[in-house]
Amino acid sequence: MSLLGFVLSEAGRDLRRAGRVGVSAILLITLSLGALGVFWLLSLNLGRAVVQWRERLRVVIYLKNEPTPGAVDGLLKKVESVEGVQRLRYIGKAEALQTLKRQLGAQASLVDQLPTNPLPASMEVTPAAEAATPEGTRALIQRLSAFPEVEEIQGGTEWVERVAQWRRLLDGVGLGVGALLALAAILAVTTAITLALDARREEMEIMRLVGATERVIRLPLLIQGMAQGFLGAAVALGGLYAAYRLTLPGVEPLISLTLGLPRVAFFSWPEMALLLGGGGLLGAVGGLLAKGRSAG
Amino acid sequence: MIQLQSVWKVYSAGSAKVPALADVSFQVAKGEFVVLAGPSGAGKTTLLRLLYRDELPTEGEVQVAGREVIGLRRWQIPQLRRAIGIVFQDARLLPGRTVYDNVAFVLRVLGTPRREITPRVFQSLKAVGLQAKAQAFPAQLSQGEQQRAALARALVKEPPLLLADEPTGNLDEVMADEILELLKEIWRRGTTVLLATHRLSLAGQLKRRTLILELGRLVKDEG
Repeated sequence: MSLLGFVLSEAGRDLRRAGRVGVSAILLITLSLGALGVFWLLSLNLGRAVVQWRERLRVVIYLKNEPTPGAVDGLLKKVESVEGVQRLRYIGKAEALQTLKRQLGAQASLVDQLPTNPLPASMEVTPAAEAATPEGTRALIQRLSAFPEVEEIQGGTEWVERVAQWRRLLDGVGLGVGALLALAAILAVTTAITLALDARREEMEIMRLVGATERVIRLPLLIQGMAQGFLGAAVALGGLYAAYRLTLPGVEPLISLTLGLPRVAFFSWPEMALLLGGGGLLGAVGGLLAKGRSAG
Repeated sequence: MIQLQSVWKVYSAGSAKVPALADVSFQVAKGEFVVLAGPSGAGKTTLLRLLYRDELPTEGEVQVAGREVIGLRRWQIPQLRRAIGIVFQDARLLPGRTVYDNVAFVLRVLGTPRREITPRVFQSLKAVGLQAKAQAFPAQLSQGEQQRAALARALVKEPPLLLADEPTGNLDEVMADEILELLKEIWRRGTTVLLATHRLSLAGQLKRRTLILELGRLVKDEG
């Protein structure tokens, strides 16, 4: 316990002595994890939107003729048995007209002026998860087109997949930018710790002469790096949260309108822990690299 | 306590080979006080560095405190050094720490329980007559006091062997005598002492066994 206390107090001492170089190391970690966090948040919300859109995806089968009430169940059973169909709902001509009226609202009386109901009967298919991909949907539509009762089929996932592709691109750019900044942060921590190492060269020499183990000599450097990384990540997280709270009132309606998300999400607790851990890891790598130089 | 057998230490200077130690053999028994004397460049410091495994000999065998020094693995070196107290010509105190902290630093590094640190530091400071200066910083001490603080630091871990490399080299005669008296006192309490010095007169003054090194060779073992 007393040895651990010594190691921690030495790490704290080094951290205080690191001065401006130490602060710039922390700032670089803040910057790299902040940039990574921004991309991550965008990707996170875009990902939620994609999942939601996939869940809401429907394929609509328009029928040539409205089946007789006795034939509906038979037709539904036939379509339900098709591979890739998860759920199915039949919409008769009358129901379709009622829905249109509801959508028209004040102009609903226009519909009453029509001589006949022009809307076709249809079936709304919810694809199974494996069919909710562009290829899966195309195959499903092909299978459904084989029924002689079918007039036309609408639905597809191409646009959802395009958004998903944008999300993947965003992930790639975010990771690239984050990796570059992380590299800079590691170098900054390495520099800060190498300076700390120079400052305590005398102490380290005495530690070696009196019989301290290498672990006791080097551990404070590693802890110093980790503390810098952790601090940088905490500042980045705090900054991101502040930005999130400040921009939320303006951004949320826009997001809701374009992406259909009811609310913009922030990181979950495990994601925040991951970001903080990432900071600690960056700092530790910096500390280890500084150790490597000194060991030479 | 110390055993050297046919020890050579040869340094390379370009294509030339310069022997710092040449075929040195001697033994120091537990509880002995031995003076290692010789002019500057005779190889005294090199010899001491072999004893605490700061250097490896080119040839020969070195045993210290029952350990075969050459065969030690990296992780075993701290164990050897815990058995050795070392003082140098310059006190090598940490300037940003008080005398107390400089001495306590050793015990903290070695993981000594906290409750034992203060009594042992004060016991060590008392042994060198420096307890009144415990809270002083090195810059506030005379050179003699700095060397006494260095001695306290070397002794606080209670090593069975003390290596002193020119501990009086920077001191005037009065201060040097004080340090020599302290070394004798430490020896009387049971610590084996090996004192390296360039002053042959010291050997006569101490009336202890003296090893004389010249150009890396042990030319005399008397007393």
